[in-house]
Amino acid sequence: MTTGTTAATTPNLGIDLGGLKMKNPVTVASGTFGYGAEYSQYFDIGRLGAVTTKSLSLKPRAGNKPPRLVETPAGMLNAIGLQNVGIETYLSEKLPFLRAKCATIIANIYGHSADEYVELARRIDSEGAGDAIEANLSCPNVHDARKAKGAVLVSQDPRCVEEYTRAIRAVTKLPLIVKLTPNVMDITEPALAAEAAGADALCLINTLLGLAIDAETRRPRLSNIVGGLSGPAIRPVAVKMVWDARRAVKIPIIGTGGICQADDAIEFLLAGATAVSVGSMNFRQPDAAIRVLEGIEDYLLRHEIENVSELVGAMKA
Amino acid sequence: MRYLLECEVVENDEVAPEQFRMRINAPELSRTAIAGQFCMLQVAEGLSPFLRRPMCFERIQRDHVSILYKAEGEGTRLLSKMRPGTTLNVQGPLGNGFPIDDSFERHIIVSGGIGVATFPALAEAIVRKCDVAPEVILAARSKHLILCADEFRELGCKVYIATDDGSAGEKLFASQMLEKLRPNPSCRVYVCGPMIMMKTTSDVAMAAGADCVVSLEAQMACGDGACLGCVVESKSEKEGEKMVRVCLDGPVFDTTMIDWAAHNMAYDR
Repeated sequence: MTTGTTAATTPNLGIDLGGLKMKNPVTVASGTFGYGAEYSQYFDIGRLGAVTTKSLSLKPRAGNKPPRLVETPAGMLNAIGLQNVGIETYLSEKLPFLRAKCATIIANIYGHSADEYVELARRIDSEGAGDAIEANLSCPNVHDARKAKGAVLVSQDPRCVEEYTRAIRAVTKLPLIVKLTPNVMDITEPALAAEAAGADALCLINTLLGLAIDAETRRPRLSNIVGGLSGPAIRPVAVKMVWDARRAVKIPIIGTGGICQADDAIEFLLAGATAVSVGSMNFRQPDAAIRVLEGIEDYLLRHEIENVSELVGAMKA
Repeated sequence: MRYLLECEVVENDEVAPEQFRMRINAPELSRTAIAGQFCMLQVAEGLSPFLRRPMCFERIQRDHVSILYKAEGEGTRLLSKMRPGTTLNVQGPLGNGFPIDDSFERHIIVSGGIGVATFPALAEAIVRKCDVAPEVILAARSKHLILCADEFRELGCKVYIATDDGSAGEKLFASQMLEKLRPNPSCRVYVCGPMIMMKTTSDVAMAAGADCVVSLEAQMACGDGACLGCVVESKSEKEGEKMVRVCLDGPVFDTTMIDWAAHNMAYDR
């Protein structure tokens, strides 16, 4: 506790995420915040360290058939399948709103091939449509669940991570964040591959693959059969992966997975994340990200910490 | 404007076996919400159940809104245990309400089971704006699941009851009862209930040339159009418009835009 007699100085929340200047370390996980406008009725989205968009593809995508969502203990499974408006509609209809709100934008992209990622990165870069690019190399819901075996996600194969990252790196100078899947034996392998290929930062973790079955009907609860698990249920897994990756790579990490309140975000920072993103909790509490931000500020004041970056990797082990 | 409010539960009574009516003190909602819209209720302080529960407004009154729900799963069971005086976090009003147009000569409400929950507010609004009382079909599996009949009668509505087992009213499905009322092109039909019932009832309405709107239900995470979890398939050929969100594009839809054939009823419970 600070004493009443000491004038508390406002802590510095600003961070540098591999070249992306963020006024605070709090962003939102891609796919949980739409394109920003969806949540602007609840708070000023320009206050966030950054707004991370829904994954953008070259063409609009309808996504998977419903049902796409099921609640699970302390979390949820989803198989949306990257429904999105496509890059052109993003540029003409979504981007102006984000710019008008003075939001720092992390444009998340998804392609079917390295070439598509390259094309998307070029468009984002040349149109000034993002302050950073996050390459989603880890969506679990865009392949046929019935045939899934072995490495089906780009980020399950470190060689693919390297190839894709290198290709995107070659066409943009914007800070490049690579978002990885936790569905691997060793997270440090794709993390090192991304770093070697020129990524400026990592985002850890995407959802964990899961399956829920209705006992009465014997049917999977999702039409895609499998989906991605998110929410507080996965947080310890995510924190541990951030900690693992932190010790392997030098580039900064956005930690994400089940952050509900400031303490959860602090956990990620202590494990080695430079920034955090609030994901599924946005669904439960639409102003969750701002609450997390305010809670971090309180924490810094309470512990008399001047710079939020002092917490990064500061777990006492 | 959408609100995030801490509201007081004023009443929470079991009105039929496992069916509850909760009245919430929420002036911000009652002044802005319209029939057919919904709110998201945070049913647990802790993190499980994790998601809010979407509930349409049964009535929208001076300082209160009420919801009618079936205690069926974990969330609604928790809701059913809330005592008057409890504080509940409410998000809303959300979604699009029913269109109300006084150029229709007849308004026919068709409800299946707990689908009735959205209709008392609608009936009230139709009476107020169109100066005509809607005809109301209440269909359910059995007598004890027929709700709100007196509420509709008090509004001046003629009520037709249909049960699957014949224990009350006529032993008919909702769609068959609609056929008996001979809808025509000067009618608007409003439907809410299980997906299969909405499809068959829509078919009857459309065959008769009536205008038909449906209020859909879906598993929902956010209620704000962000999660894309609650979609249904529309008839749009455009990839980007194929999936429509029950929460933001609905929950009330013109039935002709829904691709009923694409909906896999096997997933409905």
